[in-house]
Amino acid sequence: MSGSDLVEPGALDQVLILAPYRRDAAYLGQLLAEYDMAVATCISADELTGYLAAGPGVFVTTHEALTPTLIDIVARHLNAQPPWSEMPIVVLLDRASPNSRIRGQLAAAWPRSRQLFYQRPLTQVELVSGIQSALLARMRQREVRDHIEREIELRRELNHRVKNILASVFSIFEMTRRGATSVDALADDFGARLTALSNVHSAVFEAKGEAISIAEIARLTFDPYRQMGVSRIDASGPSVMLTREAGTTLALCLHELTTNAIKYGALSVPNGQVAFHWDILPDLGPDLSVLWQETGGPPVVAPSRSGYGTRYLRAALGGLFGAKPDIMFATDGLRCEINGPLARVACNPEAPDSVSGL
Amino acid sequence: MTSDTIGVRKPLRIYCIEDNPLIVFHIEHLIEKAGHVLAGFADSFSQLTADPAAIDIDGALVDVDLADGRTGPDAAAWLKERGIPSIFVTGQQDIANLYADRVVGVVIKPIVAQDFADKVQRLDGRT
Repeated sequence: MSGSDLVEPGALDQVLILAPYRRDAAYLGQLLAEYDMAVATCISADELTGYLAAGPGVFVTTHEALTPTLIDIVARHLNAQPPWSEMPIVVLLDRASPNSRIRGQLAAAWPRSRQLFYQRPLTQVELVSGIQSALLARMRQREVRDHIEREIELRRELNHRVKNILASVFSIFEMTRRGATSVDALADDFGARLTALSNVHSAVFEAKGEAISIAEIARLTFDPYRQMGVSRIDASGPSVMLTREAGTTLALCLHELTTNAIKYGALSVPNGQVAFHWDILPDLGPDLSVLWQETGGPPVVAPSRSGYGTRYLRAALGGLFGAKPDIMFATDGLRCEINGPLARVACNPEAPDSVSGL
Repeated sequence: MTSDTIGVRKPLRIYCIEDNPLIVFHIEHLIEKAGHVLAGFADSFSQLTADPAAIDIDGALVDVDLADGRTGPDAAAWLKERGIPSIFVTGQQDIANLYADRVVGVVIKPIVAQDFADKVQRLDGRT
């Protein structure tokens, strides 16, 4: 595939007729129209290039029309066909015409075409069914074409997503490196952040769609810690499906909050608790409201300068909800709260049926 | 980085239009490393036009696909009308090339630090 000149556009369902003598074209056109076939009639070989460029389903011509010029125009079109295309050509011969010579000549001149020869006189049924089967073959080619186009589109989309993910990974690395105090700390934090990214990616992929529920994101983020004995995170809220991008961002935010709580916050001591709650506020838009509240941990000291986690939370939640998050280093526990339009992040903003999240 | 033979240059005030907060972070880091300042950021064309901070800037870095769709080219045109040069920062070179006349450069994602530093200099209208 080397460019747009190979594209054969359209539905490929039209019968193109070039029958310049007598009333052949008019007669053929009328006959095919009676059988509900779309017909285009080309008067002379001069116009043929334009008609062929429109991508006919089948080309019908008569042996009288086969001048060297016409044979050459058709040959050039056939040679320029994309790989999936083999244009069917129906040639109407006469009893008097040198038929085997014409067949041999056309087979050599017109590669990659399905050639059908009929000797006149022939019955209407014979001709119509021949053209119909040629059109059917052309439909198969069209399916192949559409399949190839879909695959090219999918590959383009895949490339786009892979690039985005690599760019995200690179950003995570740079940001983790800036905050790291040692190579080991860098390795641990970077690995954990990549795991969070990878988990949410798998979850969205397995959901076979472009959506993921907040409850599933919470489960993915908290489960590894639950298995390590940290069972003091209570997550609950109504069923809300987030878009892939929103879900990924929320997962990374929850990861930052969780690791911070384990290192410094409520989950660093045996009796500390975390409540992660989300709700839909129908009176406001509706809005989605999300709250992370730590209790029972050591007295919270606001950091002297914001680390990667806090800065990422502010930027990411801010971008996600279109409003600044409220992050409070209250002495009895960190609190992070944000509200924003549900429609900004959700896939199903109109279906907030209330079920327990976990 | 910010000085030449004549004297110390003021850092450029650079605005970032990008819908992935991770990338914004990374870009902020790269801007600072090049001796400039992140003047603000927006995740969409509509947020850009609504942000009063988006006027007092020397240049902008613009992704092609934003939170409100493929509006990066619109953002670049909007900035150009106001005499503000911008650079596409995108994984989609083919789309960026279609709108090459609206920007002074294209940085391909994932961002290579040296390429970024070289291209950002083009935002400096003083050179």
